[in-house]
Amino acid sequence: MSITKGPVLRDGTPLSDLVDLEMREVKLRTLSDQEIYEIEQEKVFGKVWLLLGHDTEIPNPGDFVQRHMGDDSVIVARSRDGKVHVSLNVCPHRGMKVTTHESGNTQVHTCIYHGWAFKPNGEFLGSPVAEQCMHGSLRGKDELGLKQARVALYGGLIWATWNHDGPSFEEFLGDSKWYYDMLYTRTNKGLEVAGPPQRFIVRGNWKTAGEQSAADGFHTLTLHRWLGEVGNYKADSGKTQGSELTEEMYGAEVSSPHGHALRCINLARKIKKLTGKDASDLSVEEKLRALPPPGMTPDMVEQLAENLSPEQMQVMSWMPPQVGGMFPNVIFEFLYIPQSDGTVVGSLALHTYVPKGPDKLEFTNWIFVEKDTPPRLREQMIQQSVRLLGTSGMVEADDSDTWPHMTLASKGLQASKQSMKYQAIYETGAPEGWPGPGIINEGFTKDDPQWHWWKYWYELMMADD
Amino acid sequence: MTETTKPEAHMGNSVGIGSEIYNKVLQHYYTEALLLDNLRLQEWGASLATDLKYTVPVRQTRTVQDIEASYIRSVQHMDDDYASIMGRIMRLSGKSAWSENPPSRTRRFVSNVQVFETDKPDEYASINYLLLTRNRFDDDFFDLIPSQRNDLLRAVEGGFQLVRREVLIDQAVLGTPNLSIFL
Repeated sequence: MSITKGPVLRDGTPLSDLVDLEMREVKLRTLSDQEIYEIEQEKVFGKVWLLLGHDTEIPNPGDFVQRHMGDDSVIVARSRDGKVHVSLNVCPHRGMKVTTHESGNTQVHTCIYHGWAFKPNGEFLGSPVAEQCMHGSLRGKDELGLKQARVALYGGLIWATWNHDGPSFEEFLGDSKWYYDMLYTRTNKGLEVAGPPQRFIVRGNWKTAGEQSAADGFHTLTLHRWLGEVGNYKADSGKTQGSELTEEMYGAEVSSPHGHALRCINLARKIKKLTGKDASDLSVEEKLRALPPPGMTPDMVEQLAENLSPEQMQVMSWMPPQVGGMFPNVIFEFLYIPQSDGTVVGSLALHTYVPKGPDKLEFTNWIFVEKDTPPRLREQMIQQSVRLLGTSGMVEADDSDTWPHMTLASKGLQASKQSMKYQAIYETGAPEGWPGPGIINEGFTKDDPQWHWWKYWYELMMADD
Repeated sequence: MTETTKPEAHMGNSVGIGSEIYNKVLQHYYTEALLLDNLRLQEWGASLATDLKYTVPVRQTRTVQDIEASYIRSVQHMDDDYASIMGRIMRLSGKSAWSENPPSRTRRFVSNVQVFETDKPDEYASINYLLLTRNRFDDDFFDLIPSQRNDLLRAVEGGFQLVRREVLIDQAVLGTPNLSIFL
């Protein structure tokens, strides 16, 4: 009798048959199999850190929003002492949903079914007609609070995990944190949400979106080619269509053994357009002032030195992270969008792709600004983000067909045995003088970061409890 | 006491159903729906005022006491002006707008049209209902997008131009994967 490592699906297929580590291929069956989805709820969504929102969504004590960790609804609330808590939104009594609305403010979350009441930190206050002791005496009140997730705040971003004994959030990010700091912890006051997130359903498996975020560069040229034909990257006359967009493919890509990914895109051409000078003739400070990070103004640039190292600032002025993912289901977009008048306006967005069964995901889109972004720029950034990304996004709407097609295709028996391929492999390594940590490769975008995403998914799925 | 026949009295004088103006507004809406359902986007674009503001708020599930907070306008699903709508039309008319190529098959059912005078003699406000059905590829189901539209129309030679549209969709989590189509 052979001992197969890792899960074995009901039809006898070992999960290990679905991932070919040598050829860098993953079988399409992973995109629609119900059993794989169930295993993911335990081994991925039950184990890693998940992004739930931003603390500027719940600024005051008692503020709360309702979010999801995998298939579980959670209440993300700020208690009186200012701490953020994440509680399973399921009543310990009979399983009713405790908080039925998406957002609000309350010091007591009361279940409408039998009136059990909970504090924002999940503690059980009691049930009505206290002397009748509805909760009985077999379990103490301390056992009857809302199940708590472990919480970490990073740049105001609220992360949570059910894995209380697992790696810390910093360990989860690993070397990638050095790069994410340039996005989320770059200024003194930090980021804030422009409002609540957009939410809509795409009928695709969450991994079709998750793996693309981590970080598919190539598809920009073809799926998003309208950008180069009639959109913001339309070539000036005399140049070939699409050439401006092709330039966005060059930079350095960060891969991570934990599946995080960042596409650091070269700013030299944009800087040349704005200043008339070569990037090599300008200091780090001059470049950052000429083309500040998205959402920042030139006079905010001096804050970078207070929050980041000179090496991080060097990278921000040269090839800043602009798009990429955070494992398992997050995309970040910190974009420098060319305007018709030659200027650049930033757009900052984060999405999570929340699994809703193997066939569906909820696309949750938060738009960000800096707390100090001046009002006019703030308005421009929000409008631009709504027009390019998210629900009516002219860029992202084109993604919303590919994910369902892949998911539907994977239900065909022949197709389910076909594979997704990650065979565009870097041979370059880090650019000369690159000061940052991690697995770095320079040049035209390739598949390495996405392959690392799948390798970590595989590692988690194959792990023992 | 609210007059049950005039619940929207706060909007201004009602333009009576069946009146000449009302009929012209209704015709405008039917023509608009026909143009959009038949992908005649440039012609629809010609019916838009250059000072157009076109928004689709986000909805949230809130308590009944807090119903106004269920309409989110800080971040919206659509936030457009004349120039950006024209940009959308240009994109959709090109060869690479994949989200609408092949195009959705849509049907716009406009109903419950009410028209009101405003303080400008050539401008009319309208509250109307839109039910949009959407189908793509081999789907054996339809995405339904029911909404209330709060419009401002300006009478011009030959008809009306859309000056303002706010579309209040009846979902917090949209069941359709994008709004690449016009409401």
